[in-house]
Amino acid sequence: MSLWESFITAWRALLNNKLRSALTMLGIIIGVGAIIFLVSLGRGHQANITGIFESMGADLLYAIGSSRITTQALQGISGATASLTLEDAKALKDPIKAPSIALVAPIIQIMGNLSFEKENTTTTIVGVTPEAQDILRYSVANGVFISEQDIKLKASVAVLGDRTAKDLFGLRDPLGEKIKINGRNFEVIGVLEKKGAFMVTMDDFVIIPLTTMQTRILGVITPRGQPVQAIGVKPLSIDHLDAATEEIASILRQRHRIREGEDDDFAVINMQEILNRMREVLAIFQIFLGSVGGISLLVGGIGIMNIMLVSVAERTREIGIRKAVGAKHRDILRQFLVEAATLGLSGGAIGILLAIIGIRLITGVELGPYSIKAPLSPDIVIIALSVAIFTGLAAGLYPAFRAARLDPIQALRYE
Amino acid sequence: MIRLENIIKVYKTGTVEVRALNGLSCRVEQGEMVSIIGPSGSGKSTLMHIIGCLDRPTSGKYILEGMDVSLLREDQLAKIRNKKVGFVFQFFNLLPRVTALANVELPLIYGGLRNRRQRVLDALESVGLSHRAHHLPSQLSGGEHQRVAIARALVNNPDLILADEPTGNLDTQTSKEIMLILQQLNQKGITIIIVTHEADIAAYTQRTIYLRDGQIVKEVRR
Repeated sequence: MSLWESFITAWRALLNNKLRSALTMLGIIIGVGAIIFLVSLGRGHQANITGIFESMGADLLYAIGSSRITTQALQGISGATASLTLEDAKALKDPIKAPSIALVAPIIQIMGNLSFEKENTTTTIVGVTPEAQDILRYSVANGVFISEQDIKLKASVAVLGDRTAKDLFGLRDPLGEKIKINGRNFEVIGVLEKKGAFMVTMDDFVIIPLTTMQTRILGVITPRGQPVQAIGVKPLSIDHLDAATEEIASILRQRHRIREGEDDDFAVINMQEILNRMREVLAIFQIFLGSVGGISLLVGGIGIMNIMLVSVAERTREIGIRKAVGAKHRDILRQFLVEAATLGLSGGAIGILLAIIGIRLITGVELGPYSIKAPLSPDIVIIALSVAIFTGLAAGLYPAFRAARLDPIQALRYE
Repeated sequence: MIRLENIIKVYKTGTVEVRALNGLSCRVEQGEMVSIIGPSGSGKSTLMHIIGCLDRPTSGKYILEGMDVSLLREDQLAKIRNKKVGFVFQFFNLLPRVTALANVELPLIYGGLRNRRQRVLDALESVGLSHRAHHLPSQLSGGEHQRVAIARALVNNPDLILADEPTGNLDTQTSKEIMLILQQLNQKGITIIIVTHEADIAAYTQRTIYLRDGQIVKEVRR
């Protein structure tokens, strides 16, 4: 008996008991469906997050000060000393002390009010230098970014995030329009491209020149200098990340007069490290999701074994007849193994189909600013299907052996 | 063709030993039509199973066409059942969920044959059932059941057909039809052994072997 004939025989036997076959497959269907659906979802999530991190600049370093003190310092509360200042940023530009650093962008960021005509919104006001465009990877969709000239002139110009532009202007072109930031007049010179979202939207802010921020919006100088929240640093290349991190720490410790053994009053954040940490968490998450499906497959396998045992008992007489007309031990073994594998394969195929439907339905669904992605990758489909067939085979092994070992005379007498 | 020498078959049911065959010896020649008759428990079915290679004797020698069957492995016995022997049972033993055609095809599938359809149709034709080829067993009468079973037994051109109470579940008229079919097959040269407990069925055969308590007590030639 050829394998193909065994498959046809198995298929007929399964069709004879459609409801039972369907119920038996259910565990495999759910298992395979869940594995493919959840893993695809997990991968989509990972791709989303990685994409966002990469759009923020994976080779980026941030020096940040203690946030409470910095906020107080920015608000001009007396005695509050910002841990990071504009002078710190300037020091990081020193090509001799910091040879691994390519670009430095001090950042000041506060919440403020934005208005255009009757539209009003509360958003983040970010004061930056032109280097920020490169470091923070802002692409200008329309107009221009902050220039050196704007910094020198402390110009009252603003670049809007995509979301903020839509909030204030709707479908109108914001370029050249006058807006008010904390009551002061600014001219819109650019709108940024949409970046997407990670937990919250990353397109809701307004960018102004750092110098304008200091003089027109804040007007605060602490004893150590002009406070900033963060200094974005771009190393010469991704390979200079560690060296650049060392240089930032050593320069800032020296400037802040932190002695050996004392804690830093700042932190250097490596985006790559955060991304890697995030990937690790997501990988664990994926394994967790996959194992949910795996448990279902195991239960499905037990279901197949159970039904195959019932089926062997019910068809004892049939096995006797087959043996009487010349079926060998291995013919009977193969018949039941193929039947069990077919249960696994069919369950797997249906599971894949359901997973594809589920993926179609959920792809592009917006959860607030987050758009769900679930790319179906062939590797996981192949793995899930193989596991399903293997589960069927493994579950069918014992029942098939029992069937093959039946004594033909006993089997023929079986009622 | 068949030579049985001092065949003993012992069944163990729990602690009790049953001697189904007790030192039985006999010969059946090629082309013979033989009946085995005896009361229930006389060992006729056991003898039939041993002749048909479904079972092995506990001791004794069984030579089938010059081969010592008692020495063969399980797979080789399956091959003999497939190629040399056709079984016809009292309760027909058709697969209930497939057509007459598929039932008759079964031995050919296990024989590894391709282009089986014509042989299956020929076999059905020779028992007068080609018009019922696509019917399920549940759509066939008792006599038709048995004719499908005979077609299945002869489809692989066996040398030997073993019929275990082939008319036990049929009325007189149908029984007669079945016996005539078996006689026709015998005339084509197939050796036929029929187990029965009815004297008028045995009357269709050339020789009757009387069995009692696992031994031959009488033989009658016609």
